[in-house]
Parts: sequence; C-alpha cells; structure tokens
Amino acid sequence: MKTLALFVVVITGAMLIYAGHDLPAFGDINSPAYQAPMTQYFIEKSLPESGVPNIVTALLASYRGYDTLGETAVIFTAGMAVMLLLRRRET
Amino acid sequence: MSGVIDIVYAEYNYWIYVTLMMIGFYAMIAKKNLIKKVIGANIFQTAIFLFYVSLADITDGTAPIIVGHGAEHAEHVEHAADVIYTNPVPHCLILTAIVVAVSTTAVALALIIRIYNEYGSLDEDVILAARRELQPEFSEHARQKGVAEVSEQ
Repeated sequence: MKTLALFVVVITGAMLIYAGHDLPAFGDINSPAYQAPMTQYFIEKSLPESGVPNIVTALLASYRGYDTLGETAVIFTAGMAVMLLLRRRET
Repeated sequence: MSGVIDIVYAEYNYWIYVTLMMIGFYAMIAKKNLIKKVIGANIFQTAIFLFYVSLADITDGTAPIIVGHGAEHAEHVEHAADVIYTNPVPHCLILTAIVVAVSTTAVALALIIRIYNEYGSLDEDVILAARRELQPEFSEHARQKGVAEVSEQ
C-alpha cells in the first residue's frame, strides 16, 4: 500500500515538473501574468481610483470588495460548523 | 552546460514547490492517523500558496506599495516613476485562499475531535473496524444488496 502511494506520488511529481517547464521563468518581467492589461491597470490606477497606496489592499477591499464580503460567509459557515460539531449535548 | 544552469535557475522554484506538494500528497494518501492527514493537506496548500506568490515575483521588483506616497519631501521621490512593482494580483488571490484554508482546517480538526470522542482512536483502521463491529447491519445490508444485484443480472 505504501509502495503504491509512493509510486503515485513520484509519477505525479514528475508530471508536474515536466509541466513546470512551460511556465514563465522565475522573476521574468515578460511573464503573461505581469504583462496582462489588468495587472498594469491596477498598478497604475489603484492609487488615484481608491486612494490606498498598498495595491494589494486596494484590490482586496475596493475592486474585489464583494469577494471579501463573501469570504466572511466562508468564515461564518466554518465557525458555525465547528460550534455545531463541538457543542455539549444536553442530556 | 550553461544551458542547464539557465534552466535550473529559471525553474528551481517550481521544483521546490512540487517536492513540498508531493510530501503533503503522500501524507494524505499513506498515513493512517487522521491528524497527520490534515497536516499533509496543510503542507499541500502551503506549496500552492508559495507557487502563486513566486509567480508574482519580478526580478528587482519591490513590494506592491506605491513608492513616495505621503512622503513628498523625501529625496527618493524623483525615482518613483522607475520603480518596478511585483504583481499584486496573485498576492490578493492567495490572501483569499489562506482564509479558506484556515476554515477547512478548523472544520477538519473539529470533526477529528468528534471522531476521537466517539471511537477513542485516531487510527483509520481502528475506526473502520469499530464501525463494522458497532453497525453490522451496514455491511450485511451491503452484502445482500450486492447479491441481489448479481441475481438480477
């Protein structure tokens, strides 16, 4: 069983390393993710549009505010699940 | 030879993350202890976070915080237009992913506490054996259902 697991893990890792060969190089400024129009737009316009110098904060709280609001629903659901699982039985 | 060194320099970060991810994956498949399975899942998630943050990195780039804002009298301001910022979008994505990871870990650990209270063990085999012993009608039902399906054919 452990040999089978090791076999599966090694095969998966080899496939991932092979796929990583097509990814942009480490620190490459010409990577598609950095040259995408949206990324350049956020870097140039986030300060005048939202007034926050930290671009990550501007993205998280302003451009993607509803996504962050939905994240609180995730936390709420997890908290409710933990409370329901760990509550003391009243018997 | 220099070609090989270039490939190693360009991709060594991906190799590290694949190794980390496979350590977590192996723990998830092969370990019998439920806590160790959760630890494996967390290692797996951390490898994905590091992968995304390394995709955002730019050589000689600085953190994505606007340089010179609120410091108009500092002498660095004239260079502000030349600053390269690293990619802020993956950072933002991973902040969301970290929240989800913490939530799933909390629920998994709560479930494990309930399982331990019920069966007195964290070992997968012990729990499955105790379950078969406590509820024999499940396995009996499954066996009869299998027989019925075979006879129908």
